[in-house]
Amino acid sequence: MVSKTQAIDEHVGELLSGYIDGELTQQQRQRVEIHCGNCGDCESELNALRALRRDVSNSRLSEYGEDVWREKMDDRTVKATRSIGWLLFLGAVLICGGVGIYEFVFDSSMGTFEKTMIGAVYGGLALLFFSVLRQRLIERKTDKYKDVEI
Amino acid sequence: MRQELTQLGGGAHALATQILGNADDAADAVHDAFETVLRRPQAYDSSKGPLKPWFLRVVRNRCLDMIRRRRPSAMPVEELVDPGTTPEEALGADQRRTAIKQALAMIPAEQREIIVLRDYLDLPYAQIADVLGVAQGTVMSRLHRSRLALKEALDNDGQ
Repeated sequence: MVSKTQAIDEHVGELLSGYIDGELTQQQRQRVEIHCGNCGDCESELNALRALRRDVSNSRLSEYGEDVWREKMDDRTVKATRSIGWLLFLGAVLICGGVGIYEFVFDSSMGTFEKTMIGAVYGGLALLFFSVLRQRLIERKTDKYKDVEI
Repeated sequence: MRQELTQLGGGAHALATQILGNADDAADAVHDAFETVLRRPQAYDSSKGPLKPWFLRVVRNRCLDMIRRRRPSAMPVEELVDPGTTPEEALGADQRRTAIKQALAMIPAEQREIIVLRDYLDLPYAQIADVLGVAQGTVMSRLHRSRLALKEALDNDGQ
């Protein structure tokens, strides 16, 4: 229990901060309330500290949004693993493709006409694929809304 | 954990900016902290408390390392303030925000960081003590002194 005389006479100082932060015991809170009810100086300091806390809380001390941090986190580890993954994938595709083409070209059981026709079908498909891929890559590079999250 | 860290990035950057006095260095410090944590995520023990104060401690330690490495004269505290905006140009809330930034730049880093931890990041005293590595009983008095210093800086700035 707080003595009323003590609560009124002694300034509460740092307890004001504890009070606005909700970090005081019930006894301490009671002391602050009794004191501020009788001391204009401490009451106005309490209000000023409250306003200050609100202002700091509403201020914007960092201009970096979550997307920046996501990007920064992706920076090294993810980029490195992605690069290695792509390297392995493309390397394997190129080797398999090369071996396939070599065997197809030097396959003696197939005539030149058949080879040309089959080659034209696969070559046409590959050209169409690269054309679409190229277009998508150009669009992706120049799309100014690519970072917008929906 | 990655998602949680992403959400903590802004607050950690605000804290690092107040410690280092420079937004770019602060971004590097937070980035380094991300790397440290993601390299060894097992270093965080969830049974010992929430991720937020733990990660803020990692960021703070990184900032202190950076300060130790650079010359004392290389502390560009002025960079905390947006030089392009004067109080006359800003209006209402913007004006107040600018004034807060300017006043923060005028008080010591030790006081700035505790204000950011409590008033900007809303950490309870126990977690602030944990981040700063001080006794819980010290937090209230240090925070109060810091707030009074900030208030004085604001009052001086307004005159």
